[in-house]
Amino acid sequence: MHRHPDDYIKPELMACCGAREIKDGDVVIVGTGFPTMAANIAKYTHAPNATLMQESGVFDARPRRPALSVGDPCLNPGAAMIGGLVDIMGMFLQAGWIDVGFLSGSQVDKFGNINTTVIGDYNKPKSRLPGSGGANPIGSLAKKVLIIALHNKKRLAEHVDFITTPGYIDGPGSREKWGLPDDTGPHVIITNKAVMRFDKDTKEAYLATYHPDTSVDEIISLTPWELKVADDVHETEPPREEELKVLREVLDPQRMIRIYEARGYV
Amino acid sequence: MGKVMTMKQAIASHVNDEDLVFIGGYICRTPFAAIHEIIRQKKKDLTITRSNAADDFDMMIGAGIVKRFIGTFLSLGVYGLGRCYRRSIEKGIPRKIEVEEYTNLSLPMMLLAGSMGMPFVPVRDMLGTDLLKIKAFMGEKKYKLIDSPFDGKPTLLVPALNPDIAIIHVQQADEDGNAQIWGIGGDCKVGANAARKVIVSCERIVDRDTIGKDPSRTIVPSFKVAAVIEEPYGAHPGYTPGFYDVDFAFGALYQKASNTLEGFNDFLKEWVFDIEDRTDYIQHYIQTFGYSRFKELQARFDYGYPVSYEY
Repeated sequence: MHRHPDDYIKPELMACCGAREIKDGDVVIVGTGFPTMAANIAKYTHAPNATLMQESGVFDARPRRPALSVGDPCLNPGAAMIGGLVDIMGMFLQAGWIDVGFLSGSQVDKFGNINTTVIGDYNKPKSRLPGSGGANPIGSLAKKVLIIALHNKKRLAEHVDFITTPGYIDGPGSREKWGLPDDTGPHVIITNKAVMRFDKDTKEAYLATYHPDTSVDEIISLTPWELKVADDVHETEPPREEELKVLREVLDPQRMIRIYEARGYV
Repeated sequence: MGKVMTMKQAIASHVNDEDLVFIGGYICRTPFAAIHEIIRQKKKDLTITRSNAADDFDMMIGAGIVKRFIGTFLSLGVYGLGRCYRRSIEKGIPRKIEVEEYTNLSLPMMLLAGSMGMPFVPVRDMLGTDLLKIKAFMGEKKYKLIDSPFDGKPTLLVPALNPDIAIIHVQQADEDGNAQIWGIGGDCKVGANAARKVIVSCERIVDRDTIGKDPSRTIVPSFKVAAVIEEPYGAHPGYTPGFYDVDFAFGALYQKASNTLEGFNDFLKEWVFDIEDRTDYIQHYIQTFGYSRFKELQARFDYGYPVSYEY
């Protein structure tokens, strides 16, 4: 049986939830922060043959510290291959080689659509956000998309203000109608309160597991759509001792992951 | 006519008002020396492009020299949203720029098409999203959605992009402009080769024989290059692999300064307008922060195996 130390913080639990979605041998495209940590936890535990890449052009980096951006200098020395955007986004992602992609956004809706463009009206924005970057192509073309989000009524939405990155768009059949490749799309939304998965038929996110210290009722009250609950809903497995060990001793000895607490991941 | 010149000469001779300018870099090898010079020379109404824009684009927008932006993303990375970009879009300060939005797949592919002489290129992203609903200055020419003539599936075509000028910063180049890089490439190679001409800023000018010892590293051949400028630390506060690290503290300084319009203008005065050239910039840096902080940015060395191309 696994031991579960209880001194973990929420971002560590979320990283472990991400790690558990990755299978051995998966090809994973990552950004920074959580995704990299999640993918690396998987690599050091159950998925030693998973490989990672960054959209900027790097495959199988061996950074000596957590990368702060996909262009971080620590990604260069030791990588197995370095090219550019056309290599990663074109030759690997668009050509269908990427198994798992991680995304996050300022707003995520019940169909897993993500907004990183604008809050409010596009032409008269309340807040102008960075834009798509690599998010839209990853959401369009990766086989499994893992979405990281804050669980509250501002960050989750029935409908996002602007669809930057496609989830299931308008629901069942939408991705197919638009010609997005078969067997791609959002797989899970990992929040600071819960793990939500997507119903095969309705394509709507439902509650699969709730994190320790929360409840089904609390999560329903924090979710802006009528959240369905899985028949076998249960508590999220807390971080295992070996997952935390990798995270704290190998990947992030400075515990930079704590900055996510300040961003509300508590 | 020799191509080796100062940044002042290169920008004055080769960047015109209203040009479409590709600016290479991905935090890695950002041509900041050139960007500062463009701002100093107060070029007008530029259209700027690159995938994943950062502090350099934010600064040009804040300086008011940009009319249009063909982009995918703009942020200050760990320092959050681009302050000048937000002021421009949300409040029209100093002017509201027009933005044509693509992604980190479609924009590099548009540059690839441009570099290959193809009129357009099919891409498999943006479908089903609001990125198809927004069209700015490119209007109906932003994209075409067709049924593929091969399998009838919805297929998105995006146009080739051919910048008037590309500006890139590289590790080394020879006097004719054969330019070599190593490390993260972003869309530098396709962007440079899509342009009608290229300004190459480099950490060091090397002789033609040195280029010939490892010619696979060359991303732009001499005949496309109009100007070569030796500009050590030319990417600061970005980094150049093998030469120097990202200056994170300077990034924080820019974030703090650009939080307010006044702070941003003071920053521009101190680090751009009151500075003569890159040498002056480095001197000002050392005087302000001390030599040890400057020295800390310098990269360690860890050479690989030399390669042989002999037969």
